[in-house]
Amino acid sequence: MLQKIDEIREQFQSELKAVSNNEELEALRIRFLGRKGSIASAFSLMQEVPAEQRPKFGQTLNVLKKEAEAQYEALKSKLLKPKQNKNQLDLTLPGRKMATGGKHPLLAVADEIKAVFTSLGFTIEDGPEIETDFYNFEALNIPKSHPARDMQDTLYITEDIVLRTHTSPVQIRVMERQKPPIRMIAPGRVYRRDTPDASHSPFFHQVEGLVVGEGVSFADLKGVIQAFAHRMFGKDIKVRFRPSFFPFTEPSAEYDFSCVFCRGKGCNVCKGTGWMEISGSGMVHPKVFEAAGVDSEKYTGYAFGMGIDRIAMLKYGINDIRLFFENDLRFLSQF
Amino acid sequence: MKITYNWLKEYIDVDLTPQALADKLTNVGFEVEELIPLLQPFSGVVVGKVESVSKHPDANKLSLCTVNDGAETFQVICGAANVAEGQIVPFAKVGARLPGDFKIKKAKIRGVESFGMICSKEELGLEKKSEGIWPFEQAEPLGTDVFEMLNRNPDYIYDFFITPNRPDCLNLIGIAREVSAITGKPLKMPEVTIQEDTSAEIADFIKVHIHDTEGCQRYAARVIRNVTIAPSPEWMQQRLEAVGIRPINNIVDITNYVLMETGQPLHAFDLKEIRGKEIHVRASRPGEKFTTLDDKERSLPENTVMICDAERAVAIGGIMGGQNSEVSPATTDILLESAYFKPTRIAFAGKKLGLSSEASQRFERGADPNNVLNALNRAASLMAELAGGHLVHGIDDVYPKEIKPARVPFDPEKINRLLGTSFSRQEIKEKLTRLQLNVANDYVEAPTFRVDLKINVDLAEEVARLVNLTNLPTNETTEINYEIPQPEIEQRINFVRQKMLEMNLQEAFSASMLKQSEAALFQNGELISILNPISDDLTTMRPSLLPGLLRAVNHNINRNMTDVRLFEIGRIFTNYRENNLPDQPYSLAMIQTGNRQPEDWGNVSVPVDFYDIKGYLENFVSKIALDNFAFILYDKSSYFMSTETVALLVKDTVIGFCGRVEPEVCAAFGIEQAVYAFELNLDALSGLINYQRHYQPISRFPYSERDMALVLDDEIPAADILNEIRKHGGKLLKHLAVFDVFKGDSIPEGKKSIAIRLRFQSLDRTLSDKEVDKVFRNIIKRMENTFNASLRN
Ligand SMILES: [Zn+2]
Repeated sequence: MLQKIDEIREQFQSELKAVSNNEELEALRIRFLGRKGSIASAFSLMQEVPAEQRPKFGQTLNVLKKEAEAQYEALKSKLLKPKQNKNQLDLTLPGRKMATGGKHPLLAVADEIKAVFTSLGFTIEDGPEIETDFYNFEALNIPKSHPARDMQDTLYITEDIVLRTHTSPVQIRVMERQKPPIRMIAPGRVYRRDTPDASHSPFFHQVEGLVVGEGVSFADLKGVIQAFAHRMFGKDIKVRFRPSFFPFTEPSAEYDFSCVFCRGKGCNVCKGTGWMEISGSGMVHPKVFEAAGVDSEKYTGYAFGMGIDRIAMLKYGINDIRLFFENDLRFLSQF
Repeated sequence: MKITYNWLKEYIDVDLTPQALADKLTNVGFEVEELIPLLQPFSGVVVGKVESVSKHPDANKLSLCTVNDGAETFQVICGAANVAEGQIVPFAKVGARLPGDFKIKKAKIRGVESFGMICSKEELGLEKKSEGIWPFEQAEPLGTDVFEMLNRNPDYIYDFFITPNRPDCLNLIGIAREVSAITGKPLKMPEVTIQEDTSAEIADFIKVHIHDTEGCQRYAARVIRNVTIAPSPEWMQQRLEAVGIRPINNIVDITNYVLMETGQPLHAFDLKEIRGKEIHVRASRPGEKFTTLDDKERSLPENTVMICDAERAVAIGGIMGGQNSEVSPATTDILLESAYFKPTRIAFAGKKLGLSSEASQRFERGADPNNVLNALNRAASLMAELAGGHLVHGIDDVYPKEIKPARVPFDPEKINRLLGTSFSRQEIKEKLTRLQLNVANDYVEAPTFRVDLKINVDLAEEVARLVNLTNLPTNETTEINYEIPQPEIEQRINFVRQKMLEMNLQEAFSASMLKQSEAALFQNGELISILNPISDDLTTMRPSLLPGLLRAVNHNINRNMTDVRLFEIGRIFTNYRENNLPDQPYSLAMIQTGNRQPEDWGNVSVPVDFYDIKGYLENFVSKIALDNFAFILYDKSSYFMSTETVALLVKDTVIGFCGRVEPEVCAAFGIEQAVYAFELNLDALSGLINYQRHYQPISRFPYSERDMALVLDDEIPAADILNEIRKHGGKLLKHLAVFDVFKGDSIPEGKKSIAIRLRFQSLDRTLSDKEVDKVFRNIIKRMENTFNASLRN
């Protein structure tokens, strides 16, 4: 009689292999596992089995039933997700990449700086990169004989037309055009007669700041620079002012930020001092007001500058300024 | 400008550490760029005695010595010619470390062992170049550590950055004056004792005449006789070397020493070379030439102040002496000059001559006319003391018009307003007095050495720096005006840039100076050249953004990144005008080369062509909502291919070009693959961009589509066909698309098939087929009439 059970098993196995859809599977279930199916029928043969073989027969039949049920369930769940059966997607393949783009890192930093200052109520002004000697020097209290011209190695187009050496000429252009109060920054490209190397470029980028009004003081300048430092690099950044000299401001001051890498503790970048030199600032010189036609008895003002390239280099940890202008895609795509 | 800590202490008592002093001076505006110990550290060098010297058995120039360090005797090989028995010397034992991280080891030289080294000053870092070892002049106890011995009174070198407005601090007394203002300690001026030989009168030796009274406002002379030219004393040489001045001889060193001490440049002439017992100060003559003491013949710029004797020029005033009258070992009598020259005259001549000296740097920034005699007497007394000279009685001091201290208007109230402070008048006065300024009621008398003090704000700076800028108040709030109109240009550039970024393009940023030959390829009007370029690669301002972008393409292709899409916004430069600024409009350019999408398993590589770049430009134009624009065929560009270029036209103005870059131009940049680009003049777009958007209602009714496939002459531009359809489509025609263009096979020679899909839709109703067909049939008829088109199939 056990032979009968083996026959049912073989039959079930071969019919199971032929099943290709849910309907066929259901038919198979009815034929073998249904109330009147062949396995149920086999149990009814129990009486015909000699008593001593009955336990063994029952046991074997139960094993077959469990086996068949398990195989039925497995196939059923497979058929329910038909796509996983054939043409299975390899979801681990890399996705399809479209070419991407983005801002140039230097201009992204310029955007950040602009955003800070616009939120402080500044306008964003612009001026020509090729300037007259008057706007670049004379009006900024740097006459031809002034020793400060030594500090600026200038590229000339003609004797009186220069590649601007700073963004300060925009100050004059704006003051000529507009009555105080003025709160402006002017970001842009400037030029110096420097041979290119890792830390010098014959062109680089500055932001000029100018605020003119009644009662504007050095204390206001300090406040704005401090606000910028905190917004750009964090609340814990300290600001330090040191006296300096610029022909177009009096008093003049260099300003430093505590090192953004070590937060003032001292590291390689700041050469252990805990400070980083940022740029210059000061109160607008009365002669500059005169040149731009602003009443220096009535108004006072402050001006400041900062290097965008330098801030971007600090921010991203870049140590070669030339990387900004090579437009290497491996560089640009990092930002 | 360099000074040393110990030298400074001759003029003021300092109880600050060298670093603390550096910080204080930096805080008042004298930035210390470097602070280093005078002695470079070394160790293991002791005082030794040379007990015996004999020849090295196998080398002529080497000596075999024994050196006693007080405890033991060592065998040492020495290469110096001046080594001698009995000398007391610095002896570097085995294991010593000398400056430059040089370690002394046991050595075998030509077969003989050597245990240590007898040192020269050079080897101990005490001078740049030594001749032979250094025998001590005084007997020191053997075994004494030489570094400790030399460093009993350690000294430090400060290197200052002195801003050009403060020439008064280009010397030790000037710095001491600032230290005095910081610490309140009094200044100690050097004592000058003048012992004159009353048997000789200055007038018997020299008579000074100033003809150029504009260039030379004071000229004072003394005569010192019977000097012995010799090296100056060790202490003076050490100080001069420490501050970067090469010692020459006692007379020249004294003039340099007094220059560093007082800031007053002096010049010593050999009196016997001054002809006719006369000095004439005059302006140079046209074509005049002169040989300076560095043996160079120089053509003198016009209006250079010249110092002359009765026959010839002997010095360029305030800049450099002449070869014909310089002090030599044979000199016995000195004519010592102390003068004041007008800063602008010295600056101009120095610049034209390309000459800059310690003297000219001080004169051109402004020396002190009233310090002329102090410095002259100080130097003369040193010449008597150190060179055995006799001072002739009297000074020939020609000073036609005395330069008086400037009166600077003084308004404490304004100072407070400018600084945001509230100091009392007394507090401000106290600070200014510390700086040796005389404070009167409404003015301050500024000594003649303070050339920077002219107006009230200059006094504000003095107050601010003595208070310390960081300690001044900081305003953390301010009243600001809400009405802040942003300039249109910033809005325009930002808007355009934003639209380019929205198309998923990478922004580039490139150089604005180019090689002339590169710039010439993009010439649109006259090129702008730089008068004094840095190099041949950076001579010309870019007339277009394309050369920069082509360089970027080349850079990336050379590094195996062959798919490049970049855009850039920046100024371009053309059209020089006499005494006027050139055109420098903002430009927008995009460049594309290689495959449309990166190559990978899921993308088929398709190389870009003209329609890719045109597609970008069309998208851009649509994003900035340009009205009344048209693309026209353009074949006149020198850098775009005539067969693959269009111009963007707005209201009859060409705004820019779009197409394939001329392969020859690409080749000039080392690029072989096809490159497509567009460039637009953003200044010309000013006023044409529509920043405002108005919502266009979207129809809730279904649309109807009709396709037409036209066969017509190949020459008829697609734009003409589409324009004609739009013209006759009326309000119901919502959308047009070319979905196939086809030539050959069943299409006759010289013809093309163009398939167009038209979408009709109304805002207020569902269109009937009849309605749509009527419009559609009319369009077809127009196609047949206007273009002689026939319908395909
Ligand atoms: Zn740091």
